[in-house]
Amino acid sequence: MALNLNCPICGPRSGYEFRFGGEDKGPRPAEEGATTALWLAYAHLNRNVAGVQREWWCHKDGCGTWFRVCRDTVTNCEVPTVDTL
Amino acid sequence: MERLKHLPTLRIAARQPITLRFNGRTLAGCAGDTVATLLYGSGERIFGRSLKYHRPRGLYSLDGECSNAMMTIDGMPNLNAELTPAREGMRVEPQNVMGSLKWDLLGGLDHLAFAMPAGFFYKTLHKPSWLWPRAVKGIRRAAGLGVLHPEARFDQRCDAIYPNVDVCVVGGGPAGLSAALAAAEEGLRVALLEARPRLGGFCDYRVRADAQGKPLHQWAAALADQVRARDNIRVFTDAPVVGAYPDGRVAAFQRGGPEDAFDLRYIEITAAGAVVATGCIERPLLFAHNDRPGVMQMGCAHRLLHTYGIRPAADAVFSVAHDLGLEAAIDLHDQGVTVHCVADARTDGQDPLLIAALEQRGIPLRRGWVAHTAHGRSRLRAVTLGTPAGTFRQRIACELLVASAGLTPLTGLVTMAGGQVKYDPRTGFFLPVRLPPNMQACGRLRGLHDPAALAADGTLAGLRAAEGLGCRPQRKIAAAEAALAAAPGAPRGSKWLAAPGKGAKTFICFDEDGTLKHLHQAMAQGFDVPELIKRFTAIGTGPGQGGIPGHNLPLLVAAGQASPASDPMPTTVRPPLVAAPIAAYAGGRHDMAKRTPMHDAQVAAGGRMERVGEWFRARRFGTDPGAAAEIMAVRTNVGLLDASTLGKFRVFGPDALKALQRVYVGDMARTRPFRTTYAAMCNEDGCVIDDGVVIRTGDNDFYITTSTGRAAQTVEWFRYHTRYDGWDYHIVNLTDAHGVINIAGPNARKVLEAMTADDVANTAFPFAACRDLTLAGGIPARAMRLGFVGELSYELHVPASCMETAWRMAEAAGAPFGIAPFGLEAQNTLRMEKGHVILGSESEQRTVLHDLGLGFLWCRTKPEAKTVGALALRDTADQPGRLKLVGFKMETPGDGPPRDGSPVVNGRIRGYVCTARHSHALGEPVGMALVEEELARGGTRLGIYEDGCGGRLRYGTVAPMPFYDPEGTRMRI
Repeated sequence: MALNLNCPICGPRSGYEFRFGGEDKGPRPAEEGATTALWLAYAHLNRNVAGVQREWWCHKDGCGTWFRVCRDTVTNCEVPTVDTL
Repeated sequence: MERLKHLPTLRIAARQPITLRFNGRTLAGCAGDTVATLLYGSGERIFGRSLKYHRPRGLYSLDGECSNAMMTIDGMPNLNAELTPAREGMRVEPQNVMGSLKWDLLGGLDHLAFAMPAGFFYKTLHKPSWLWPRAVKGIRRAAGLGVLHPEARFDQRCDAIYPNVDVCVVGGGPAGLSAALAAAEEGLRVALLEARPRLGGFCDYRVRADAQGKPLHQWAAALADQVRARDNIRVFTDAPVVGAYPDGRVAAFQRGGPEDAFDLRYIEITAAGAVVATGCIERPLLFAHNDRPGVMQMGCAHRLLHTYGIRPAADAVFSVAHDLGLEAAIDLHDQGVTVHCVADARTDGQDPLLIAALEQRGIPLRRGWVAHTAHGRSRLRAVTLGTPAGTFRQRIACELLVASAGLTPLTGLVTMAGGQVKYDPRTGFFLPVRLPPNMQACGRLRGLHDPAALAADGTLAGLRAAEGLGCRPQRKIAAAEAALAAAPGAPRGSKWLAAPGKGAKTFICFDEDGTLKHLHQAMAQGFDVPELIKRFTAIGTGPGQGGIPGHNLPLLVAAGQASPASDPMPTTVRPPLVAAPIAAYAGGRHDMAKRTPMHDAQVAAGGRMERVGEWFRARRFGTDPGAAAEIMAVRTNVGLLDASTLGKFRVFGPDALKALQRVYVGDMARTRPFRTTYAAMCNEDGCVIDDGVVIRTGDNDFYITTSTGRAAQTVEWFRYHTRYDGWDYHIVNLTDAHGVINIAGPNARKVLEAMTADDVANTAFPFAACRDLTLAGGIPARAMRLGFVGELSYELHVPASCMETAWRMAEAAGAPFGIAPFGLEAQNTLRMEKGHVILGSESEQRTVLHDLGLGFLWCRTKPEAKTVGALALRDTADQPGRLKLVGFKMETPGDGPPRDGSPVVNGRIRGYVCTARHSHALGEPVGMALVEEELARGGTRLGIYEDGCGGRLRYGTVAPMPFYDPEGTRMRI
């Protein structure tokens, strides 16, 4: 409810058109030498910050692209991209 | 009752009669009535009985602020009659009534009220423990609102729209209209939402003249006409707002009229700026028996008279605290209602013109007096007025008491969107002190009252909203500010709280029968915050959404506190602001399904179509639930299956192989050109989510199929798992672009030979190969030899537009053999005999690749691909305690197969039957089950519990799979 997102291709659109893709945790870890704990952390553990976080969204009902945005989880509003997260 | 027909403010069509059935009688009103005004106009005074004490309740407000007017209308319970337009032939029933409205059998509960203090149900009836379940039944019967009958049908047409505008104005009163006009004149797109059927707000029914001598209703109507004349203002009337949200979204739901294509419409507006001009509701006056039928708010009496042409009573007494009350008394008097007396809780501050008008009409005005008690049981007979301390009292017989303690601003939208309100002792209002970004508040909710001030304030808010969106109306803003400064400011509010006494029958909350006494009890027990008192006493938690107690509760709590300096704290307002049917949120009927190009042909052939995911597919042809004839045709002759729902994709580009390696657990580098490779996708946990074939059709070009259910997610899945890599590849969804015909059975090749000139002999087109064929007439077909059903089988992927031609061609080619279509049921049995899995049938959320015996699909030697699920597959390869897929046969084959989903019980539940069918090829029932690993060895006896077996288990034994043609020779012929 009440979320608008800026799709890099389609511009500002209603949040209903998007699918949440989780927190931005960086590229997949290398498989060789990866422990179960590392894989678990990558696949399932989240920081769940109360505040600004960078995350993935898919414009599923639009262009279909996956992109990153920064969102304030307290206000549920998109905020300008912060690089230092 | 005869209506007044010549008032300029009438909003009914007095010459268009409407009748409805109420409580078994036929009542008449006219077009434009709500159900409540129709009942009132027909002389009904008791509208229902209250929740707890079964007290008679009547018309109190006209905006659905309490549950008094909740009724069952055309079978739907809990509709507010005040908000429901009357329609011809409606059936209306009162609620929570035992016996009749006038003589309710539970009316005596009222006398037991002393035994039900605040928190009564929390504290009693749970000891001894056996009491509670019995008590609940009785309480449920006695208390509660309407009853939903099992046969009741919700047949309203629902819809949902999501408009996008620059400025959303909430409230169609003078301020809202001015704000909408101001913003629209800056060239912005504006949406205007008004809860009532008409624009104009509290000026719509007032005949008093403004400063220029023009009646207010005319002035408001002129403003409304200007708004309607603008192309860039979209007006929604009958659309109460249910919520505002921090991201500039406003949600409302709208009731449709007879000419609309909907009965209920959910409106969710995305706006860059919002103007809240929701105005005020009334603050109820608290005195003993303030809930008696015959006591109503000043706006209610005023609107009954002016909007609906109903004289609310022959004679009336007023106990008010606002100029609007004095105005109502004058107007009622002028239309022939005897006004015995007007008590005004304020000692001074009244509009002198109104005082003069009262004097001129000979209506006595008692400054500083208020109502103490209403008398009469089922309807009002008299009222006792008095000074606040009760030193002077007077009892006056009357039919109607117009009672109001003043106004309450509707600031819910402001706080909901993240703003703040603070109590202002001068106006007695909770005024917005901090607004959310891009939101403006204006009008009566800021305490203003004078029409000129409201218009100026609205204009200013509209201009400020426009300014926030990049417009530069500086000069207009300065002009509006000057006009606002020149107009009268906010009037002083009344400080009056409640008549003296214990308040056992002084109702703060009508919905929950919460009294002043309950509040005192809660405070005596240490509750000191309105939020907590609200929960403990249930005051303000009823269907009226706190409309009646919302303002009085915080004031009373603050007044009752030890420290006189403590500011009243408002309770939190949450969406929905008004009771909204869930169906309105759901919107239209979204059940959309896809049909394959062969849908109609299959129906014509006797196909029983069923929803499978988003598709319609043929379950079987004919009436045999086991589809035996279809199965035998495929095993011994040839059959035709419409498999168009398969997911079909082209993946191509320099990095296409890398992408495939990422999502498929097998080694896709080993795929050979035009050879089908069976492959599976897992999620991060190694659980199988999809299986299908991968075909290399070029250097960097692949054609893949997925299961029907995964087709919609596949593109997203590929892109998600390669989102960090920036690889250069494309994936195109061809699911709907290609139809699929599966020709299966020993005679399949003969059928295909008749359809194409290409060489399809076993040597030229062997098992597991893929060929691009040209069918007769030049139809291109990508053909694959697969063995899902275990026979010689061709899958023809043809363009959807050619699908029907190709299907007809196959039928014609197969006619000499008696080719017939087969459905999902036959396919299910056929593939099960072969031990082939269908994900979702033979797997559940936790099933990993190894559990299905498909571990060989996983390639361990491609770590550089970082395959999705590879690490989990490594960890689960030898993990104990997993459910494994096994085949089984029954000990007593004559009893038939067990039902799908039956638990496997060996001492305890240790698995379940996935699919079990009678195998015509083997002549006995066979099936597949997911069972604990210890039970997976061949020959293990499985106890199967079937619904209705009466505790007598059926037994099967684990048997090797595939059951049919274990060497797989038949699909290679």
